[in-house]
Formats: sequence, structure tokens, C-alpha cells
Amino acid sequence: MNGDGEKDRGGRGGGRGPGGDRAAEKGAGRRTFFRRRRVCKFCVEKIDYIGYRDVKLLAPFIPERGKIQPRRISGVCATHQRALQNAIKRARQLALIPYVSD
Amino acid sequence: MSAVRQYELVYIVPADTSDDVLAEVHQQVASVAERFGATIDKTEPWGRRRLAYEIGHHREGVYVLEVISGPPALTAELDRRLRVLDAVIRHLIIRVDEELGVAERAQVRRKAAMVARRTRRGLPPEPTEDERNRRGRDDDDLEGGLEPGFRAGGER
Repeated sequence: MNGDGEKDRGGRGGGRGPGGDRAAEKGAGRRTFFRRRRVCKFCVEKIDYIGYRDVKLLAPFIPERGKIQPRRISGVCATHQRALQNAIKRARQLALIPYVSD
Repeated sequence: MSAVRQYELVYIVPADTSDDVLAEVHQQVASVAERFGATIDKTEPWGRRRLAYEIGHHREGVYVLEVISGPPALTAELDRRLRVLDAVIRHLIIRVDEELGVAERAQVRRKAAMVARRTRRGLPPEPTEDERNRRGRDDDDLEGGLEPGFRAGGER
């Protein structure tokens, strides 16, 4: 860790808001650990229907453990997260996706 | 509210089920549908698949999808019958007309918005061949990152 990274741009760029990656892009803070840009995949790719049969579509939102990835990490918007959640739960019932995996 | 709704039925039978039994299950579904005046719009066998978890000691199953249009009472009866059938290890009935309708309307709305936007900017309402080609390349780039099949975490 570089010692001088701490004090520049003190107030900004902290937290987890969208402001964070703006600071990172400017290269201002030294603390540029990888922060994904938060965009909703379904909005960007204009996917209107999140089907429970489309495992390929759902897989990125199911981490190793088999839980549903929270919105704060994946960046999915609320509308699509709700649809995604339904689709995942249906896919689980059909054993397309595990409830838990280890 | 005249109730003809579209449902998707997916059922799973063990991988070692004979074709005769499979046909019989389908026949049962068809007969129930007929009794309620419903129509089977589509039958789509997915074939053998690995189950994500064991269902009654089965690790693999044969999936069949049936798209059925009929009255709501149909689902209750189908559900009951499928639960009784020993050959079917898992089934799911889902109403799809509403969700697909929402998706379709969203698409229409988006299309209309695009046309409005383009006319405001003095462009032809439809993207020209040239623009579409450019877009096509971008899409290809996106697809390069996708991975087939279920893997925890997907492409990430």
C-alpha cells in the first residue's frame, strides 16, 4: 500500500455510491481497487423478459454458493432484480439451478 | 376476463424412462387439456439434462415443456394429476401470458420511442443498413464474453 494515497481528495470517492468510480476514473485516489461500474445488464441489453428457462442468462447472478446475488453488487435495477428473483426461484424448482451448492 | 390464459408446464421424468411412458404422460396431459377445452400450443422436449440437485435419488432427468392455453381451473387439475403420476418426478405450471404481454409492450414502447427520437433528429425512422451493421459488430463483442451452460457465477 502506498502511504501517500490516504489524504488526497479526502471527502470524495469514499463510500460505495456511483461517485466512487468517477474518482477512480480520474485516477485521483490511489485507492483504486477494482470497482465495477454499476449498470443494469438487463437495461443495457434491453432484455424485457427474464425467462426461468434461460440458465445462461441467470447464471451470472448466482455466485458459487448458489445464493441470489444482491443488487448492490450486481448493479441490477430494482425492476429487473424482482423479475430475476422470480426467474431464479422458478428455475430452482425445476432443478435447473441449485438451491445451495457446495 | 373471459379466461383463456396461457400456461407453461414443464415436467421432469427420470432419465431411464421409456418412450412409451413418456408418450403416456403426454397423453394424460392432453386428455386433461381437452376436457377443459384447452389447446396445447407447443410441445418442446428438451431431452436429458443433469439435475442441479438430486430429486428422489435421480441425478438426471428428461425435461418436457408444454405450452397450454386454457381456463384457470385447468391448472389445478393438471397439478393434481401430475402429482399423482409416479413417472413425473417434478413439474411446474406457470402462467405466462401476462409476463410475455408486458415484455411485448415494453418492446413496442421502446421501438416507438426510437422512431420518435430519430424523426426528431431528422433521421429516417428505421436504422439504415449501415448503422445496423455497425451495431451488429458491437453486439458480437458483447457475446464474446458469454459462457454456455450453468456455471456458478456465470461469466463473471
